Amino acid sequence: MTRRIVVMFAALVLIALGLAFYAWQLKRKVARDEQLATQQQLAMAPPANGPPTPVTLYVASDSDATLRRSQMNVVLPAERTERARAVLRALFGAYLQSPSPHPIGAGADVRDVYLLGDDTAVVDTNSAFANTHPSGVLAEELTVASIVATLNANDGKIQRVKILVNGQERETLAGHADLQRFYLASNIGQVVKDLQ
Amino acid sequence: MLSGRVSRLVLALITVGAVLLTVLLLHHAPVLAQSPEQNQLTVYSPQTSYSVPVLEVNGQPYAGLVELLEPLGSVDARPDGKKYKLRFTPPGGHPQEAQFTDGKDKAKVRGENYKLPANFVLQSGRGYVPLSATSNLLATFLGTPAEFHPAGRRLFIGTTPERFTLELRQGNPSRLLVEFPSAVNPSIATEPGRVRLTFRREPVASSGEDNVKYNDSLITGAVFSEHDGIAELDITGTAPLMANFADGGKTIIVTGAPPPPPPVAQQAPEPAPETPSNAAASPQQPQKPAAPRFLVLIDPAHGGSDIGAAITPDLPEKDVVLTLARRLQRELANRGIAASLLRTSDVAISLDQRAISANAARPALYVALHAANTGKGVHVFTALLPAANTSTQSFLPWDTAQAAFLDLSGSVAGSVAAELEARKLPNATLFAPLRPMNNIAAPAVAVEIAPPAEKVDEIAAAAYQEQVAQSIAAGIAAIRAKLPEVRP
Repeated sequence: MTRRIVVMFAALVLIALGLAFYAWQLKRKVARDEQLATQQQLAMAPPANGPPTPVTLYVASDSDATLRRSQMNVVLPAERTERARAVLRALFGAYLQSPSPHPIGAGADVRDVYLLGDDTAVVDTNSAFANTHPSGVLAEELTVASIVATLNANDGKIQRVKILVNGQERETLAGHADLQRFYLASNIGQVVKDLQ
Repeated sequence: MLSGRVSRLVLALITVGAVLLTVLLLHHAPVLAQSPEQNQLTVYSPQTSYSVPVLEVNGQPYAGLVELLEPLGSVDARPDGKKYKLRFTPPGGHPQEAQFTDGKDKAKVRGENYKLPANFVLQSGRGYVPLSATSNLLATFLGTPAEFHPAGRRLFIGTTPERFTLELRQGNPSRLLVEFPSAVNPSIATEPGRVRLTFRREPVASSGEDNVKYNDSLITGAVFSEHDGIAELDITGTAPLMANFADGGKTIIVTGAPPPPPPVAQQAPEPAPETPSNAAASPQQPQKPAAPRFLVLIDPAHGGSDIGAAITPDLPEKDVVLTLARRLQRELANRGIAASLLRTSDVAISLDQRAISANAARPALYVALHAANTGKGVHVFTALLPAANTSTQSFLPWDTAQAAFLDLSGSVAGSVAAELEARKLPNATLFAPLRPMNNIAAPAVAVEIAPPAEKVDEIAAAAYQEQVAQSIAAGIAAIRAKLPEVRP
């Protein structure tokens, strides 16, 4: 009888270990899939031909709390929304490099840019952008202001900008900056002036 | 037969395994958050009264040490492995040190060995002590007597609980006079044949007899009770009752409510109203409009599950700003300015609810406090909105309520920045798209503190926070004359 109990107990321990191993494998698989999804998203950049064109970026710097105008050469698609997306991806690229003047979360990307009428742009970012963005009033404001100012600088018709996360409206970017509103380029222009 | 025994054995083993697993889980995650409204300790001291969330740890109630001490002075606490080192400095007093160890009931307080009634708990960088130890610990730290009411979870420090007296004056109608040593402001709820007075902030305590019965045709009894950090006086009668304030709030008179006016139209039944203080007073006596007053409402951002920025892995923004808020409240009080906090403990409040509470408080100024680990120094923000010429006396659109106050908000930001500059603290004044500032119908600024230098945890240093709090308070005091007082 004692031997039977030992055998049963050993069997239970083996089953528990097996389940733990299975759970660990599942966790790794989910992590791999997420990484793959992010890579696929990044790999789905629109095809762009032609010579690189100079674009204006408003790049934030955390160390001195500034927003500086800079130029970069980017291959731009012909279509207006795709051009806006390419410009924002160039901006995100500046933030994602290491060392970064204004780090944003790894995997942050612009999924799409939509135009409502002629003057309103809706920027759809991915979850990684908001979920991993550093939290803070100034840090979040710098990001929002740089997006709006960059869009306006490269397409003067864009006067209003709304930021979505994964196709959805979100209350704040990372606990502070309001994402429920439309940002006016004229309003952000004042912020840019203050942050020069 | 054998198969049945094996099945029972397997079942027994699985049950034992499940029990062991549960015990292990409970051991490794002993702190289970409770709803703060239902489970809190209220502390009364001569300077202030405040609530501290109570957590159940292994079936015993615990309170956070920092939450307990912060409203009473300056606290510097940090975990060091399994140890928890704490330095507490009462206002105008000398620093006192204490050291606790996770999972041990032995501690050192002011250099002396100290035994807790149960083990100290260190969770996520926060230290918790058993509730039954709080009165003794605070008395040791403050050098003043403390009285703990365990059933009511109310703690009285250096102040005698205010005991009320009951006097029934029989007549037509009879009146029950509830007299207090000082003015009180309870919530009053009425329902047929009953008036309930709920005291949340006043150190009201039993007069000795908790359950009084009257041989009267109208008022039949009064029951006093304490629970979850509040005190309640329940007065029962044979007919609808109402409560009136008298003697400047020191006396509450409970008597029969006048009969309702004859119905002019069919009305839906209304739930029993719970009204704050004077609103429950007799409709026969028109209320005198309260005098305008200057109140600063301090909003320590985040709280509860919303930790805000992780300044360090053990130092969330929600804790940094709550400490700063208390320092600012003290600094304002030192300058004769009344201030209240939108949250006094670690509770989550939605952005909309913050705006609703702030607007309901009708402050002369709203100050939101934030903290971040990026940048340096202090940033003072006003709302990023186009200015509007809307009258502040009219209805304001929710999304842009702040627009009508932008000029005044800007003046406050400038005044605070000037004081920061005078103290040589790096600072900047900016616009920010920060919620819920846009929804605040009063002058409003937000202050975000960043570390003073490269060392990020310096943001929680008492000296740095004192400087920032003094600057904000001095800035507000300097601009006070320009800010209109508001009728509550």
